[in-house]
Amino acid sequence: MESPSVVKMKTYTKPNLRKSVKQHLKEWRKQWDLQLMVVPWVLFILIFSYIPMYGLIMAFQEYQLGDVIGFSRWVGWMHFEMFFQTPELDLIIRNTFAISFLKLVFCFPVPIVLAILLNEVRSALYRRSVQTITYLPHFISWVVVAGLTFDLLSVDGGIVNHVLMTLGLVKESILFMGEPKYFWGIVIATDLWKEVGWSAIIYIAAIAAIDPELYQAAAIDGAGRFKRIWHITLPGIKPTVVILLILAVGGILDVGFEQILLLTNSLRNTMVYETSEILDTYVYRVGITQMRFSFATAAGVFKSVLSVTLLVIANRVARKISKESLF
Amino acid sequence: MDLWRTKSDVIVDAAIYLVLALLAVVTLYPFLNALAISLNDAKDTGRGGIGIIPRVFTIENYKVIINNDSLFRAYMITISRTLVGTVSSVIATAMFAYGLSKSYLKGRSFYMIVCLITMYFSGGLIPTYLLIKSLHLINNFLVYVIPSMISVWNTVIMMTYFKGLPDAIEESAKVDGAGIFRIFFNIVLPVSAPIIATISLFNGVYQWNAWFDAAIYITNENLKPVQSLLVSIIDTSKFAEAMAKAGLDAERMGAANAINARSVTMATMITAVLPIIMVYPFLQKYFVKGVMIGSVKG
Repeated sequence: MESPSVVKMKTYTKPNLRKSVKQHLKEWRKQWDLQLMVVPWVLFILIFSYIPMYGLIMAFQEYQLGDVIGFSRWVGWMHFEMFFQTPELDLIIRNTFAISFLKLVFCFPVPIVLAILLNEVRSALYRRSVQTITYLPHFISWVVVAGLTFDLLSVDGGIVNHVLMTLGLVKESILFMGEPKYFWGIVIATDLWKEVGWSAIIYIAAIAAIDPELYQAAAIDGAGRFKRIWHITLPGIKPTVVILLILAVGGILDVGFEQILLLTNSLRNTMVYETSEILDTYVYRVGITQMRFSFATAAGVFKSVLSVTLLVIANRVARKISKESLF
Repeated sequence: MDLWRTKSDVIVDAAIYLVLALLAVVTLYPFLNALAISLNDAKDTGRGGIGIIPRVFTIENYKVIINNDSLFRAYMITISRTLVGTVSSVIATAMFAYGLSKSYLKGRSFYMIVCLITMYFSGGLIPTYLLIKSLHLINNFLVYVIPSMISVWNTVIMMTYFKGLPDAIEESAKVDGAGIFRIFFNIVLPVSAPIIATISLFNGVYQWNAWFDAAIYITNENLKPVQSLLVSIIDTSKFAEAMAKAGLDAERMGAANAINARSVTMATMITAVLPIIMVYPFLQKYFVKGVMIGSVKG
């Protein structure tokens, strides 16, 4: 018979606080077939999303054709210095923020208003028809939208000029695409036309999730339609609105690159340059057309850093003001 | 609610109906106008004033498209990339999402983090371009298919759906000893028709409308999709008009061509959007749900 302490030693097992690496691998290997469904795609993401992220280091290097990405000659902050000394930088930043701000002011609230209006329609058929029609433009490519826009705004035969002249508001056709001052308005209007129906979907769903009994109770208390909207509908969708607002502010520098590229005829339209050039088109122009890869990457890095900063700020502000936040 | 309708309610109702009707009209007008111009004789269109009804009906413009070799080739490219791209993307995304939906997947949190970071941060245009270049995908049809195969957004939507499926349907198959691939293809997929329809629509629309990837990665004209062709048609005809007005008369010589170009441009645009217009109303309930799931989870 062994002494009690020896028995204790033999029966005492180390508490299994952390599995060993070997244990992890064993479990991993056990579900090899499930992993097979997943791992190739994780690798895919690592290749197509993370290698370019690593490639951002190019902003600090001088990339020459033929170099392996990320292993070129080191030049430190040179490209950034050049970027900050670019004469058009003021213009570019002003345009980017202006268009983005205008989009926030106009294109963000309108879908909400649309959702509220649609909710007030009692005929399901009418509501569904309008909905179906309004999100049609979302499925059309920007190429077609740009083409339609050019045609509607054209100097001979375009309906906009036709209407303006018939109403006597102008004496001769306006060359809309030839003047910088119209560009921002065109960008906002086309974006609104294209996306208002689609963006409204989320809000329509959020409104539908509001308890109908709240409305009935309010009606019994004598609340009119506007009071009901103000006190029930709007607060009911507040969480959704705040989250989407944060995302919108975080994406504030993504002002619709494809849209603007197309509306300027792939940058061929130089007449509107002073209001149309944004960060993304500048990166495209300098990087793809002029092949100054490293410099363009530096501009891109600047944009990313700015975006993330704005996202964090927006999130913090939202959390302070309304207790809703993204993270 | 009818008991509480007052006279002012009726007026407001009417106003709302009116505003929405106006919105519908503004949304539809450009399409109907384009359709009318495309079905109208080109010379007659040049006289101006076409609204939504063609004055001199003709299908000549469409005939031009059908007979045009480069347009035909472009359509073949667009159709191929939509079919191949959508099918491959849906299968890849479904597999990925299904695996991720299993909570017992080892390394799941790691995989999820890898996915989610890409939603907020990316390498940007230039590094991506250089990557594609080094993968020899420049001027290669596969550049339409491979890089866009997995979208984290779509993966999350599908994953949410798969998570919502009851375990029971897989249990009996597991007891019978079926492997995970068989369970996936024979049981899960058939039950997931709605989400597959949704993601197929998203992918299909993306592929059909894509032009920018062709613009930077493809220089071979034979590989350009319809949208790219449309861009060059629009660029040259519309910009020519602008230059003409600005007094650069060199383009005026092309005035006659400009008229025909407009009609053919419209016809091309109509054919570029027609398939989508015909399909999307039927898939409404699917993508509405898809958007909701995606945004709630996201």
